[in-house]
Amino acid sequence: MSENTPNSTDSGSTLALLVLRAWLGMRAVLTGVEKFSDSRTLQVPLLDAAGKPDSSGAMVEVTQKFYSLHSYHAIPDSMKDKFANEPLLPVFLTTPYYAVLGWALIALGIAVLLGIWTRASLFLMGLLYVSLTFGLILIKQDGGVSWLAIHVGLVALALTLTKYNRFALTRS
Amino acid sequence: MSSRETDAKAGGLGRRRFLKTAGAAGLTLALAPLRSAYGQTESADALNIALVGLGAQGRVLMDAMLKIPGVRFVAICDIWPYARTYGQRYLKKNGFEVRAYESHREMLEKEKDLHAVVVASPDFWHAPITNDCLRAGHHVYCEKMMSNTIEGARSMVHTMRETGKLLQIGHQRRSNPRYLVARNRLLNEAHLLGRITAANAQWNRAVSADLGWPNHTAMPAELLAKYGYSDMHQFRNWRWFKKYGGGPLSDLGAHQIDILNWFFDVSPSTVIASGGKDYYPTHEWLDNAMVIYEYKLPEGMARAFYQVQTTTSAGGGYYEQFMGTEGTLRMSENPKYTQINREAAAPPWDQWISRHLLAAAKAPAKGDDDSSANDKVDARETAELAAYYLPVVLNKAIHQPHLENFFNAVRGKGTLNCPADEAFKSEMAVFKAIEAVETRSLVTCHPSDFIA
Repeated sequence: MSENTPNSTDSGSTLALLVLRAWLGMRAVLTGVEKFSDSRTLQVPLLDAAGKPDSSGAMVEVTQKFYSLHSYHAIPDSMKDKFANEPLLPVFLTTPYYAVLGWALIALGIAVLLGIWTRASLFLMGLLYVSLTFGLILIKQDGGVSWLAIHVGLVALALTLTKYNRFALTRS
Repeated sequence: MSSRETDAKAGGLGRRRFLKTAGAAGLTLALAPLRSAYGQTESADALNIALVGLGAQGRVLMDAMLKIPGVRFVAICDIWPYARTYGQRYLKKNGFEVRAYESHREMLEKEKDLHAVVVASPDFWHAPITNDCLRAGHHVYCEKMMSNTIEGARSMVHTMRETGKLLQIGHQRRSNPRYLVARNRLLNEAHLLGRITAANAQWNRAVSADLGWPNHTAMPAELLAKYGYSDMHQFRNWRWFKKYGGGPLSDLGAHQIDILNWFFDVSPSTVIASGGKDYYPTHEWLDNAMVIYEYKLPEGMARAFYQVQTTTSAGGGYYEQFMGTEGTLRMSENPKYTQINREAAAPPWDQWISRHLLAAAKAPAKGDDDSSANDKVDARETAELAAYYLPVVLNKAIHQPHLENFFNAVRGKGTLNCPADEAFKSEMAVFKAIEAVETRSLVTCHPSDFIA
């Protein structure tokens, strides 16, 4: 069997790729899903030890996290403000980028997790992280750049192992 | 007879008594709720209220009462025509056509369908007005201080007992759910602070000018003298003069010293204090004072420092802070001054967080150049403590819950949160502090001092 065939048999490499796919897929999906999250503060009655409303009638503020399409925010507002001041990030580019970022992360994450066009999905995921790195370099977020570099490295490693790809919905 | 017994004896307004009263007034309760001529929803719980005193505090109470369903203003009383006009017009805008009186005695003679009177006059009139109202058969909500004299305050407790009527004193923190939860749940149930060894409280205010008045509203000297005032300046600035009020320790300190006593659930055993009239040339009362109380708690001695400054707002607002071996609780009517800290060695507070008695404070965002924020400059420093906040919210004006508690008690639904005999204990602690300032000596307090 050729070393380059999809059915290359090296169980260690196969498992390594599976782990990478799982990590990278989960990371991307949850990062995308979190962009649809928000929190709201509710006022609920304070309960006593017996589970009944406190005798003072006190209401307490409780913060609840929730998800909705209306809550979509590609990046934090503070970061968006910084990008808005960058000449190399024109609005006609950032606006569509923000619009698709969350969906792209979810779609690519699912594709990598399930092994749908694994090689292409990993490549696009890598490009996405490179694009994010571009913005962070401009606003001098060196910590974020380092984190993304780790992601890019893992994507690259996964790409080198795609010949050992198993448990995938598509062969390519 | 204790105040709780007084509550029971009074039984509030009671449905039967109300039906009788309402019937005499020609109301058809079977049709309740109705819309009154004033646009307010009437019900079997409607109460006819008179407000005596339309100064700054009276207006605060008036605004709070306007938000309480079933409170029906029928009369106001103030010796100053300017204030009476304001009150009548303001209440008319809010749907109440009220009768206005200069003298509370005239008001009590003419108003026969009152259920309760709210008193917000200058302190030296509290006792005469309250005693007259109680004897006229009305329940009374009276602002603190009860009186500018111990004798006046004591007479109010005695009259409350004699008449069996309700007398709530305006220490409004006692009905604030934030304070109730802090005291009853955090301290008494959770014992969150461990052994409390110290407390401090403060109310610091920036320098302020004396109150004035529009020239055309000045009262004639005879009218002022009739009601005990020397002149318009003293009438408008009565809080600063000894024959009318008790000065800053009374005006501001009484609220917070009340919290010390209430949270400790004991009266102080000694007081030392220093204060003086060092800044304002036109005042009689001290500008600033610093007081140290000793409290003999069941678990040991605790000391409480109280300061009131009227010449500086330094020191981070107004609050009452309790410090224990396992944590510190800083309470304030303003939530932004409230904070709770856990000592590093204290047991975890997770269970209280899960019950929503506490919430972890958000850590302040750190910038890239903020790496030295937690650095110690001395190895003996205690590490920065974990911060929490009280998630209880009060969506009302701060006086509203206390007034609601009073009106509910009048209706026979519950007991007063601050009856006069309970308030007397706290106010006696204020009188003791004033005594310590004036005598410049250690004042020893006996338990009997706090019983009216």
